[in-house]
Amino acid sequence: MDSFKETFKRIFHAGWTNFRRNSYISFGTTGVMALVLLLFGGLMVVNFVSDQIVTSLQDKVDVTVYFKQNASEDDILVVRKDLENEVMVERVGYVSKAQALEDFKTRHAGDALIQQSLAELSDNPLQASLNIKAKSSDDYASIVSFLEGNKFRAVVDKINFYENEAVIERVQGISSGLRNWGLLVTLVLAGVAILVTFNTIRLTIYNQKQEIEIMRLVGGSNWHVKAPYLIEGALYGVFAAIIATAVFYPTLWILSSKAGMLLPGISMIGYFLSNIWQFVAIILFAGILLGVVSSQIAIRRFLKV
Amino acid sequence: MIKFRNVSTIYDDEFEAIAGLDLEVKDGEFVSLVGPSGAGKSTLLRLMTREIKPSIGQVLIDGMDLSDLSQSEIPLLRRKIGTIFQDFKLLSKKNAFENVAFALEVCGAHPDEIAEDVPKALNIVGLADKIKNFPHQMSGGERQRLAIARALIHRPRILLADEPTGNLDLVNSYDVVKLLMKINEFGTTVVLATHNREIVNAIGRRVITMENGRIVRDQVEQGKYII
Repeated sequence: MDSFKETFKRIFHAGWTNFRRNSYISFGTTGVMALVLLLFGGLMVVNFVSDQIVTSLQDKVDVTVYFKQNASEDDILVVRKDLENEVMVERVGYVSKAQALEDFKTRHAGDALIQQSLAELSDNPLQASLNIKAKSSDDYASIVSFLEGNKFRAVVDKINFYENEAVIERVQGISSGLRNWGLLVTLVLAGVAILVTFNTIRLTIYNQKQEIEIMRLVGGSNWHVKAPYLIEGALYGVFAAIIATAVFYPTLWILSSKAGMLLPGISMIGYFLSNIWQFVAIILFAGILLGVVSSQIAIRRFLKV
Repeated sequence: MIKFRNVSTIYDDEFEAIAGLDLEVKDGEFVSLVGPSGAGKSTLLRLMTREIKPSIGQVLIDGMDLSDLSQSEIPLLRRKIGTIFQDFKLLSKKNAFENVAFALEVCGAHPDEIAEDVPKALNIVGLADKIKNFPHQMSGGERQRLAIARALIHRPRILLADEPTGNLDLVNSYDVVKLLMKINEFGTTVVLATHNREIVNAIGRRVITMENGRIVRDQVEQGKYII
């Protein structure tokens, strides 16, 4: 146990000393890695925003069933019950005739002409309706066909799905497009970022090729020679993560206040602040992993002496 | 202890650096290896550290065929051998203490032992006051003495020196050779490859002359530099 501790201490010390003495190169490599990690952070923001846009778009989609004037409230409530038992349905809101009138009056409170016309009517001309929200926007067509086959089909006047169908399809298209393209762009940029980091570390290690070969000639085992370089790689990751976090939050704060006007209801800084520890952990983990794996791959060929 | 059996080394399928060489070096011997550039002296040393494998034949140390060593066994062989090079091969990012300590660390020495032995070794080679200096802050002679301290620190049984005086003036060259002879007195086998006539003649021990990858003369005692 003691010798394990000693070995670890030695490896860490050697890695740290190397990092410090190569300060010029270390600074450059850490800088490049910090940019790469910032790019990861940026991708997280883009994914978050596109996810929020998709969710809010889908949230706006619903289907309303209007019932004929003669439909009894009991029948409507049975239809509501049936709908609520369907797995595809998220929630069903019932608006009675009276409620619909009330809503209408409130909505047009400032319009004297409408108020006057309403007062002249003896009967409530508005229809009772059920507002249906599906769990997924793919499900509206099935819900509508379920309604078409319902035993109370006779009391249904119209379902606004047919008018909204094109809009719903469009929302679905935009949503899946955003998700797919977002994923593709994330993967491509992450690939580029990994390549940039790998090549930077490879150059750093190439610079120390002779040292590595000498260590082998003096009798250093592969692990003995390699371990400090892996620590050095991890240190690039740690410092890069610290820099990236320190740049990311203030930048996001500025962006968030500007984007708030374009994307109301989406608080980027709020989301990332409430998940700050997860963010730091992911960036730190990505940095260390990138540093260590790149060093491991880069050093391999110089250990063949 | 060191045996070459019909060894040939061919570089790039055409240049024959060593051609059918047989050689035996006993424990505790001091062998000077002389010959013109390209005679195969350095190749002979590189075969002993398993930097390269022979194309034909066997190189044996303590009866062990070096061609049979796996990648992970090579460091174990190198820890038995101390090596000194013409270009010193010091670790430029490490100071004098760390350069010497590295050879002990790879053998698994305890930090206390390293802290005690390294200053002693640096003292023996006359670098006690340069313990924190980096190689680029030292003269050629000092660097070579540092390399010798590193080669000796783990008390190797064999010391290989490839043109150790090649970059040094006469005074520094004699210092280095004196150190090598002292090491030999303690029982370490020394193989010294050199061009330096005065030094070989001053040592006056076994001298092997090489030409075109072959041994052309082997003077077992009181050898002189003859080409």
